[in-house]
Amino acid sequence: MLSCLRINDFKAEITNFDGTLYFKKMAYDRKTRVLQEQNHICLEYHYKFYLMAKISKMDLGGIILSCHVGIDVGGTYTDAVYLEQGQIQRTAKVPTQEENLVETIVNALETLKLPDVSQVNQITVSTTLVTNAILQKRLPPVNLFLFPGNGMSLSALPWPVDYHVFSGEMDFRGREVSPSDPSEWQRLTWKERSESPELVAVVGKFSHRNNLHETQLADYLRKSYPKCQIALGHEWGQANFYRRSLTTYLNLGVTRRYQHFAQQLQTALSGLKIQAPIAILKADGGILPIGKLRPIESIYSGPAASVLAALAQNETSASTIVVDIGGTTTDLGLILSGTPLLSSRGAEIGPYSTLVHSLAVRSIPVGGDSVIEASGQGFEVKNYRLGPAYCLGGKALTPTDAMRYLGLIDYGNRQLAEEALASLCPPDRRDPQYYQQLAGDIIEAVVNRIAEAVDSLKREWQDEPAYKVWEVLHPHEAQTFNTLVSGGGAQGLTKALQKRLGTPVLLGVYPEVSNALGAAMARPTFDCTLHLDTYMKRYHVQETGEQGKWTGSQRPYREVEDFLDQLVQKQAEQYGIQIHDIEKEPFDFFPIVQNYQTVGQIIRGAAHLRPGVIGRVVK
Amino acid sequence: MKHTGILFFPAFDWSLGNSHPEREERLLYTQEQLFEEGILDLPQVKQFTPRVASLADVAQAQALFPTPSLYPETLDPHLIAAGSAILLGEARIRGEISNGFVLVRPPGHHSGATVWGNRGFCTINNEAILINQLRARYGIKKIAIVDTDVHHGDGTQDIFYHDPNILFISLHQDGRTLYPGSGFIDEQGGPNAWGQTLNIPLPPGTGDEGYHYVLETWVLPRLQAFKPELIINSAGQDNHFTDPLASMNLTASGYGKITELLQPDLAVLEGGYSIEGALPFVNLAILLALAGEDYHYVREPQKIGRSSLPLATLKPYVETLKKQTQIVKPDFTIHNVKFFPAGEWVYIPHSVYYDTEGFQETRQDFVRKCNHCAGTVYIESQRTHAKTKSVLVRIPFEACPQCEQAGYDLWEYVQHHHQEIHSGLLQNQLHNQHQVWQRKKD
Repeated sequence: MLSCLRINDFKAEITNFDGTLYFKKMAYDRKTRVLQEQNHICLEYHYKFYLMAKISKMDLGGIILSCHVGIDVGGTYTDAVYLEQGQIQRTAKVPTQEENLVETIVNALETLKLPDVSQVNQITVSTTLVTNAILQKRLPPVNLFLFPGNGMSLSALPWPVDYHVFSGEMDFRGREVSPSDPSEWQRLTWKERSESPELVAVVGKFSHRNNLHETQLADYLRKSYPKCQIALGHEWGQANFYRRSLTTYLNLGVTRRYQHFAQQLQTALSGLKIQAPIAILKADGGILPIGKLRPIESIYSGPAASVLAALAQNETSASTIVVDIGGTTTDLGLILSGTPLLSSRGAEIGPYSTLVHSLAVRSIPVGGDSVIEASGQGFEVKNYRLGPAYCLGGKALTPTDAMRYLGLIDYGNRQLAEEALASLCPPDRRDPQYYQQLAGDIIEAVVNRIAEAVDSLKREWQDEPAYKVWEVLHPHEAQTFNTLVSGGGAQGLTKALQKRLGTPVLLGVYPEVSNALGAAMARPTFDCTLHLDTYMKRYHVQETGEQGKWTGSQRPYREVEDFLDQLVQKQAEQYGIQIHDIEKEPFDFFPIVQNYQTVGQIIRGAAHLRPGVIGRVVK
Repeated sequence: MKHTGILFFPAFDWSLGNSHPEREERLLYTQEQLFEEGILDLPQVKQFTPRVASLADVAQAQALFPTPSLYPETLDPHLIAAGSAILLGEARIRGEISNGFVLVRPPGHHSGATVWGNRGFCTINNEAILINQLRARYGIKKIAIVDTDVHHGDGTQDIFYHDPNILFISLHQDGRTLYPGSGFIDEQGGPNAWGQTLNIPLPPGTGDEGYHYVLETWVLPRLQAFKPELIINSAGQDNHFTDPLASMNLTASGYGKITELLQPDLAVLEGGYSIEGALPFVNLAILLALAGEDYHYVREPQKIGRSSLPLATLKPYVETLKKQTQIVKPDFTIHNVKFFPAGEWVYIPHSVYYDTEGFQETRQDFVRKCNHCAGTVYIESQRTHAKTKSVLVRIPFEACPQCEQAGYDLWEYVQHHHQEIHSGLLQNQLHNQHQVWQRKKD
């Protein structure tokens, strides 16, 4: 079907209804929403034509589906899957040992019983290592040195960490407003501890436009305290001094822990004779080689994995609400025409606002094992669990008991489920008619909570800011969604969700290991956003924080396209990833005018490799 | 928590011309500054996404001539700016926000009741469209507009000149020294709305201190006396000392203080073309003041190079101006045209210059004197050298039956008996309806 076509550039193997096969190189233009056949626009005519055909297999620009292992380290369990040519061969589930994640991963791999370790092409790990280190406040002390200049008071925003302020100010074009003052730095004193080096994060307002003050202070610190470890804010080259400061701080704070983990994992896998490269899943649903990742980017990879799993099971251009119902939490995500929705703001973790790109996801504290308690309004769904459901030998009434009683699931003891429901009914209402109703109400309450979060996610999508006339005049079209549910509590809620959300609801394959599946199917993401100021003769790359001198013309056109291409190539090599399906945003040109003369241009452009999967899971 | 709404629409893909002050670059550095400060991370700040206003929304405030569909210029960016103002106004009325900043381009305050083209960088009047939509949809009655752009808000004044429920106050650099050359103290409103327009022309060189003095001693008492349900600030930023087109001496933090003094429900960006030296800082200061945050540390890198008018010099000037304002008495000409319905019709002829394309509009305005309502307005308008005229008939909000009938009678008459007139708009604000008419070719 036409609706299968999504990806930017790919070769489609199309089966006509009469059984004939043919190949086409296709391109889909996101902006015009026009399907292109190589370089020729094919409009209505081709739409009709392709509706007659069915795509059976896709060659995704040279990426070959081969032998992949995906591992998802969750809070309670660690899941693993092994896929060959897009087919799930083996799955494993082991308990997570929070204090020893490497051993947990090794344990999962051993349980998986890989037929031939030398065949494995890649191992992708989604881990809560960094997330937990931050949320459990297990960060070493980091000194945060700021050059905030004038403007909004620092105290206007909630700073969850201490900082030290130095003088020196830049403006929005990267011009020095006032110089830094080295005499202030000399007043800094700390004793270098022998066991662990001092950590210092240095961040200046507008350092993403000019990193001079940051590098000056770093040079001074390196000379004065040779052992200290320094991170500079401009390496997170995106606007937002507050978030850049906290991101730099956190990333530096988790680096040692992450590096230790990476080293141990590589050693352990060598011990298992696994030579395949290891990739880590990021919050934006992309992967990077374990040695190239900035640790903070690995937060929230769990919810990203469930979105990718849905993507790998769906038709390529479908719009999907992804619902992953766990024991105590339900993760939600949104896929729009085959592309997961990215959050327009950076990720929030604990009290920290960051610049980490993440998928737009919601996590709500409700799941199959959530405790149901009596309350004034009848009952209340609590945010916690007390072990398994009552019908499975647990202590408390849970949504799982309601599902069991209504026959929506077939595991668990129905008699126990009835007992649990009865415990919430007053003595005069202890009969099946009331149990039936109570069970129905519990399921409705759970589904309502999920539906509210879905609505909030959809609102985030529809309320994305727009800064150009074109964007406002071409809003996101209303999409027909389907819903894909996975996770332990999925099966019993399918029907109720279908009714409440008003969309078809599908149950994912292997719902218990879907996050591991998502990890295994993940592909690299890549963004390269250029900001070029031809008057100041400087360029900046948002993602890497690279700043350099522009030697090209004042009003470049083709030149800047080639320049971006070179940056993309260079960056991809640095990351050690292959790039296909690069999607380029149209350049924005801002003529800089002084006294009615155009004296230069500010040019913004970007290339992206959007989050996606390496192929579809063959069922 | 009190929320401050922001609707930031910099129209990065639209300009009035490559090197025109109203170009893509205008809010670029404002974006850099606001985003770098992390202003959207302030817990009380809520960002909204733009919306497009409809031509019907526009028609409740302004007549696009010859007809909206024949209007020659592309309206898209203008409709987004106006729609964004309405959206944030609705959020204010519904209580989702306690105040807000419509930080959008293009501006609108030079655009008047009749529109033949762009003038003073404005095509449609964002505040006027917003205000009439809030009145039509939410039954808001009394609204005050304080225009703190350095240029006289002549378009806004024109639209509400006969409306006793709208208090329009404009502070600006004296019209003898700056575009559009109007906004003098004798312009105080039509016969049914005398005193509801207040113009305060200020001498070049007025600085923070002087400006705040005028606000505290004149504008704020006038606002308090009027007791508006809403205060809208036309927040032009060209009083800033770095502005290339004007000669005032305000600073960014001086603008913060203006906002703090006025406590507007909504601030709407108007002009301001010192896009590097002023806008990033003035916009930041206004937003911080709205959000209740400290704006005193917002400092533009450039220092004021010229001295401001001393307060001692400004004070007597302002006192004289106040006295003169009180002395002026209404002096209107009654001119009842043969086909006009019963009543006394005040005749106000004037002409409007469209500087962007360089042509003149000749207008003959009539308003029915009325003790019960704002009075029906009848405007015949002609673009220079054009053979035909267009007409605007306005039945005001809360129109009395006589005025409503008079409006319909006029509308009927021009269509059937007034051969000179080829198109027109009937603005029925009373019933939130409008009609567009165009004479069929013979």
